[in-house]
Amino acid sequence: MRIKKEKISTEYKMKYSIWYHVLPFLSIGLLIAVWYLGSSSNPMIFPTPNTVLRRMIELSQNKLSGYTLIGHMGVSLLRVAVSLGLAIIIGVPLGVLIGWSRGVRATIGAVFECIRPIPMLAWIPLMVMWFGIGEKSKIIMIFMAALMPIVVNSYTGIKMISPLYLDVGKMFNASTEWQLLRSIVLPAALPTIFAGIRNATSMALMVVLAAEMIAARAGLGFLINRGMEVFDVSLVMSGMVAIGVTGALVAVLTNFIERKLCPWNRSI
Amino acid sequence: MADKVKIKVDHLTKRFGDLLVLDDISFEVKKGEFICVVGPTGCGKTTFLNLLTRIYQPSSGELYIDEEPADPKKHNISFAFQEPSAMPWLTVEENLEFGLKIKKIPKEERKKRVDRILKLLGMENLRNAYPKQLSVSEEQRVIIGRAFSTYPDLLLMDEPYGQMDIKMRFYLEDEVLKLWKEFGSTVIFITHNIEEAIYLAERVLILSNKPAKIKENLEINLSRPRDVTSEEFIELRKYVTDQIKWW
Amino acid sequence: MEQKYLTRLKISNISKSFPNKEGKRELAVDNISLDVYDGEFLVLLGPGRCGKSVLLNMIAGLMKPDEGKVVLDGEEITKPNPQMGMVFQKTGLLPWLTVMDNITFGPRQRGESKKIYTERAQKYIDMVGLTGFEKSYPYQLSGGMKQRVGIARAYTNEPKILIMDEPFGALDAQTRYSMEQEVQNIVEKDRRTIIFVTNNIEEALMLGDRIILFTNYPARIKKIYDVNISKPRDTMDRTFLMLRKEISENTDLAL
Repeated sequence: MRIKKEKISTEYKMKYSIWYHVLPFLSIGLLIAVWYLGSSSNPMIFPTPNTVLRRMIELSQNKLSGYTLIGHMGVSLLRVAVSLGLAIIIGVPLGVLIGWSRGVRATIGAVFECIRPIPMLAWIPLMVMWFGIGEKSKIIMIFMAALMPIVVNSYTGIKMISPLYLDVGKMFNASTEWQLLRSIVLPAALPTIFAGIRNATSMALMVVLAAEMIAARAGLGFLINRGMEVFDVSLVMSGMVAIGVTGALVAVLTNFIERKLCPWNRSI
Repeated sequence: MADKVKIKVDHLTKRFGDLLVLDDISFEVKKGEFICVVGPTGCGKTTFLNLLTRIYQPSSGELYIDEEPADPKKHNISFAFQEPSAMPWLTVEENLEFGLKIKKIPKEERKKRVDRILKLLGMENLRNAYPKQLSVSEEQRVIIGRAFSTYPDLLLMDEPYGQMDIKMRFYLEDEVLKLWKEFGSTVIFITHNIEEAIYLAERVLILSNKPAKIKENLEINLSRPRDVTSEEFIELRKYVTDQIKWW
Repeated sequence: MEQKYLTRLKISNISKSFPNKEGKRELAVDNISLDVYDGEFLVLLGPGRCGKSVLLNMIAGLMKPDEGKVVLDGEEITKPNPQMGMVFQKTGLLPWLTVMDNITFGPRQRGESKKIYTERAQKYIDMVGLTGFEKSYPYQLSGGMKQRVGIARAYTNEPKILIMDEPFGALDAQTRYSMEQEVQNIVEKDRRTIIFVTNNIEEALMLGDRIILFTNYPARIKKIYDVNISKPRDTMDRTFLMLRKEISENTDLAL
């Protein structure tokens, strides 16, 4: 028996909607409860949420290796911001060019298709050998990781534009290539480009940690690594929680920027 | 048997909170009758339909099929809506068979009915096509064929030809009449198109503005095939339009 | 009346073919010649996908004919021409622009002064009944309202000839009917030469001064009807119904 779905779902939603707000809190509560239960047996290997929280507060007040917890967060974020900025400045125009011009696509596009399947983490040893373990090498690593999704999405965004929009542009006086590119192609591709930037951000967060864990004197990856070296489990877990918080903050920020930049894209 | 009451709608009323949408609707449909329901825009036709399909429960009143309260488990109510809804992963043949399988009809009988429908529709050559390979009108025809093939106690159609041009519409309307005669189904056909209603129906139910009541129960005694340019036809059309005045 | 017979657009012997799945070329538009007169409401009527859109794209300059040519006021059309306005079937509103920015897109590209084009846009926004929605984005509008924006956008670009490509094909029957009334009102207030494409016989008869009936694929001219019924037209008028029947019988059924 076929029924009209939307009718049912509104009645259903009205009845059960309150659950949808309560359930997330319940499940998070459950997670913390399980953590408590699991951790109580051996505080040295699996500290309680309390211990980790206290450790984080302590880390925020006293410097470790020259930075407080917030300071380490800042160091990691700065690395991400610089590399991501560079990747956007270089990646978006490059992707747009590959998408828009057949000539560029034929030459550079192929190179990208070759490099793309190699996971970012596989590049790290090469980067360390070439550029050492200083700040420069970290920035380059993160930059490389962020560049790929940005180029690929910019390119895809341009390729996927409905021909209808191009016809609209042509019928309404956008007579030069530049006019079409600026007033039709770029805005039409913007949501896809932005999705690439979002992917790039999570890639960058991942790689910054990996890079910091290999060699660094500051940053969240350094904290975790230091914790591991001295078998300080609560330090490792503090670092992990801090990364979670950082990731969530960055996601909120990107969403905010995206909503400002693409107010017409209601899927966000 | 021709005069036996098949469907009885008895004082059907529906409220949403304080809002009265359907107000005490009563009518009977004889077995094998073709009824069209017309009414002004937003008069509650959809609510009416949803009551008949048992998606909504009436606030009061009841729908009887064969003198028993309608029960989807027991009675066979079929649908055809405006949007074609063939299962994309099944071929035309499998789509036609689908409804019959659910009704647990034996395989041999299923095959016989599917062949009969395909022949009536003249779509034997599209037997193995997938819905994606069909045009919108072909897909809609498959759906309507599917609805008839289950030998429903009641067949409900909600503007199945709403989007079609008249050339196509007349073709499909003739087809639906052919299926109806062939299968002797009891049909309630909801439409906003008065010409369509008068072309198809033995009886037209005119609903009033919200809250919907039955404003008139109009027998259409025109011989078939009906000529839409004939004086009587135009007269009837004008009359019904005056009753509705939705624009 | 004599003005009606001043030819604006001359389409002579145009044909267009495309490669089909087997790689052979298949005709979509077969040797069509047609004059479009100044100020007339011309309807191109044809079943389903009969190649009307291809013809239209050639008239608009979005596609080049294999043979023949399209001449507007003595000048051959070879590329998109701002003298031609277009209302697209799928509205083609740019989702990243507000209603106002969509409507003024054309004049902006042309570099017109903001004051002039905003004033003109507002006139057409008011005319199609979108006052108050200037700052809305397309996704906030219903199907009928979107196409109103499409119409206002085409008018604001001040074309000599306005092409409407099945503009109401995606709308439900009742919205469609009211949009047809709307178009009639606008045409009365702001007379332009209009080429209106549809597969809906009733719509063609409601709106057209002249109806060109096409065959099913490839598109050839089957018959030309002059509709001498005064507007606004009554769909239950006997003459209307007889003509509808005649056209219907002459139309190829595209199942």
